[in-house]
Amino acid sequence: MSQRIFITGFGAITSIGENVDENFQSLVEARCGIGKADVLETVHRDMPVCEIKLHDRELLELAKAPGGKGFTRTATLGLIAVKEAIRSAELSRQEIHDSAFISATSTGGIREFEKYFYQLQENTGPGPWSQFRDTANPGDHAERIADELGIKKYVGTVSTACSSAANAIMMGAQMIKHQQVDRVICGGTEALSKFTLNGFNSLFILDKEHCKPFDEKRKGLNLGEGAAYLILESEQVVNRSRRKPVAELKGYGNANDAFHQTASSPEGTGAWKAMLEALQSAHLDPVHVGYINAHGTATENNDLSEGLAIQKIFGDDVPHFSSTKPYTGHTLAAAGSIEAVFSILALRHQVVFPNLNFGQPMKELTISPVTGILRNAKIEYVLSNSFGFGGNTSSLLLGSAA
Amino acid sequence: MEKKSYFVNGVGVISPQYTFDNTVFLPQPQEYENTILKCVVPDFKAYIQPVQLRRLSRLLRIGLSAAITCLRDAKDEAPTGIITSTGYGFLDDTAKFLTELLQQDEKQLTPTHFMQSTYNALGGLVASHIQCTGYNTTYVSKGFAFETALCDALMRLNEDASQHFLVGSYDEADATQFAVNSKAGYYRAEPTNNLKLFERPAAGSLQGEGAAFFFISAHKTEQTWCSIKDTRMMYAPGEEELTSALIDFLLVNLLSAEDVDIFINGASGDVDHDGIINRIGERFFTKSEQLRFKHLCGEYCTASSFALWMGASVLKKQQIPGIARMNCVPEKASLKNVLIVNQYGGRDYTFILLERG
Amino acid sequence: MQTTEELIPEVQALIIKSLNLEEIATESFDENTILFGEGLGLDSIDALEIIVLLDKNYGIKIQDPKDAHKVFVNVRTIAEYIQKNRR
Repeated sequence: MSQRIFITGFGAITSIGENVDENFQSLVEARCGIGKADVLETVHRDMPVCEIKLHDRELLELAKAPGGKGFTRTATLGLIAVKEAIRSAELSRQEIHDSAFISATSTGGIREFEKYFYQLQENTGPGPWSQFRDTANPGDHAERIADELGIKKYVGTVSTACSSAANAIMMGAQMIKHQQVDRVICGGTEALSKFTLNGFNSLFILDKEHCKPFDEKRKGLNLGEGAAYLILESEQVVNRSRRKPVAELKGYGNANDAFHQTASSPEGTGAWKAMLEALQSAHLDPVHVGYINAHGTATENNDLSEGLAIQKIFGDDVPHFSSTKPYTGHTLAAAGSIEAVFSILALRHQVVFPNLNFGQPMKELTISPVTGILRNAKIEYVLSNSFGFGGNTSSLLLGSAA
Repeated sequence: MEKKSYFVNGVGVISPQYTFDNTVFLPQPQEYENTILKCVVPDFKAYIQPVQLRRLSRLLRIGLSAAITCLRDAKDEAPTGIITSTGYGFLDDTAKFLTELLQQDEKQLTPTHFMQSTYNALGGLVASHIQCTGYNTTYVSKGFAFETALCDALMRLNEDASQHFLVGSYDEADATQFAVNSKAGYYRAEPTNNLKLFERPAAGSLQGEGAAFFFISAHKTEQTWCSIKDTRMMYAPGEEELTSALIDFLLVNLLSAEDVDIFINGASGDVDHDGIINRIGERFFTKSEQLRFKHLCGEYCTASSFALWMGASVLKKQQIPGIARMNCVPEKASLKNVLIVNQYGGRDYTFILLERG
Repeated sequence: MQTTEELIPEVQALIIKSLNLEEIATESFDENTILFGEGLGLDSIDALEIIVLLDKNYGIKIQDPKDAHKVFVNVRTIAEYIQKNRR
């Protein structure tokens, strides 16, 4: 069964843009979303984050979501991006109804859960917390989005930390290949929260300044928030609907590092395996990859293991690579789909986005990322990496739609 | 695509019943008086080294032990991938980290609870325990989580029959979740004895928990418990839609309702959720042995894994546990198939069809 | 001000409690037992837990976990570090 999987629509909201076009403009104009936490109420206001500068009620308006109905910030961001993806593919009501929806999040409604932690457990009477009664459940946001849009075929959620959205996209592709469904809306969403900010802080992997992926002096990551979704369709469905795809999902790979709960193996075994599998699944020689959108969180550990894995696969012929996390921050579960969207933009506009803040090459690597924007880059294939806690490593291979 | 069967070649289940010993089948039903059912656990030291055990949360201990039991049952065959599923994950660790965070005003926080609160923590732990670097993912799709994990494994086995998957689920009867969701009517308002759950229809069910792992391959072995023929999920269907889908499900598997030997009913004791499934049982499966299971394990997002264990046990041992029986039909010469119809929250409906291995 | 020797039993008890070492800290465990790597086998997460312990109980803030490796050899070296740096 070699079903081709096409991407016929996409949507994204991050700290650098409320939709795909705005994100693209920011990427080419080197405009980052880094700043202080203004919307999230936290004592760590000195910690740089890539926050979407819209309050929850403003996001609800942007999403045209019903207020007071349990739409957490995570669910609302997701709804905004899904709606854009649906609009871009011009799906009909029936097509939406018959689509599967696979979303990803690592925290679900934790932001609202931490805000109303005591009231939700103790208060029986109604209050502003009542609508968030069961929104901590990570699968809840997906059902809410599905119900709002009338999606009925299947609703599911993946949670594998920072590789979540990539895995959601993979499962979507699998369901199409095995003819379970004609179309899948898949991706991920994540809002900033005290839970994640403090959690990563307790692991000493946040940078107190703007992050520097692949730099010898890198000190850690900056957290971000956002959402992005792709519409995947089989070749037959695309031919029937005569939609013009924006890209093709050529291959994918998933492996586990099996090393440590929160650290990657020094040699990058999982990263290497995932990238290799993505290439092999497409029967593609590494030499054809024009750009790697790296996971590149700027932690000491990730960038070393990812860099070594890239060198191992590509040898002397490493393609252009960069991490776009200085732009958006690390959006955790949503990173895999936000960066898939960025990879599609790279293909469509033949552009390689720069790895900002890079100054000094890592002593363990012979390679360095791209530092200025590259136009007319002649890219046919892009590899997009997402690696997470629990050793979960995933890699998506995207190609032009032609 | 050709319909193939896949085989359950290893099982490891820890639940509120005595289930971690694969040599016996519900020897003595465990009784709970207070609406909450907690696992009957083995001595974890028989599975996990002390230096690792000391740090693990209760649910990670239960999950890892169930996975190890399953691998031992599969005669230590190495899986090529690990697919896990959960509803609420490690909410206990989440709550502990949040409590510290709120009480200490976001200062001096320890990392262990945060690290162990990620939904895929068990999948990562099992992978590192057995050094499995293959496919690994975790589904958190509420009442579909376990079936999605199964579906993922079956699709991959269809592509490559040389693979083997460890497919598991885990959920905990967590105190925070109980405190929050009991106020939304999820659980019986009055303390309820689990074995009397279905005697008095009322709103709410029991809070349950459990971990269940299954070793799934494309080939039979001496360890085979049963085969998995098919699985389907339906999101928020109406009664007619669900009923038609069920008949169609049986039809594509070359069965009619009369051919079903065992019907496992996923009623939870919550009168607001059980109506459709009970009517399906009454309408189509009066000639089948009808079993229920949520009085034994409680209600939780991945409870259908307990049903799979029960169905697999019935088929392997050719025995029906009296405590699970709903009806009385003439004894069948042999039990050839099991149909599980489950629901979660009256919205997530799933079918699993098993056959004798 | 406590001496290093006086600190040792207190620090040992704190470490055993916060890292759940009750069943692993057998009779042979003492202030000279190597904690990480070849010794007791503790890992980087345990090191972070000890860093928080030092902050909470002795007001010592370690900014970079890499610095901790030189200090966290055994209970004695940790007690010495506390004795020098506590607030």
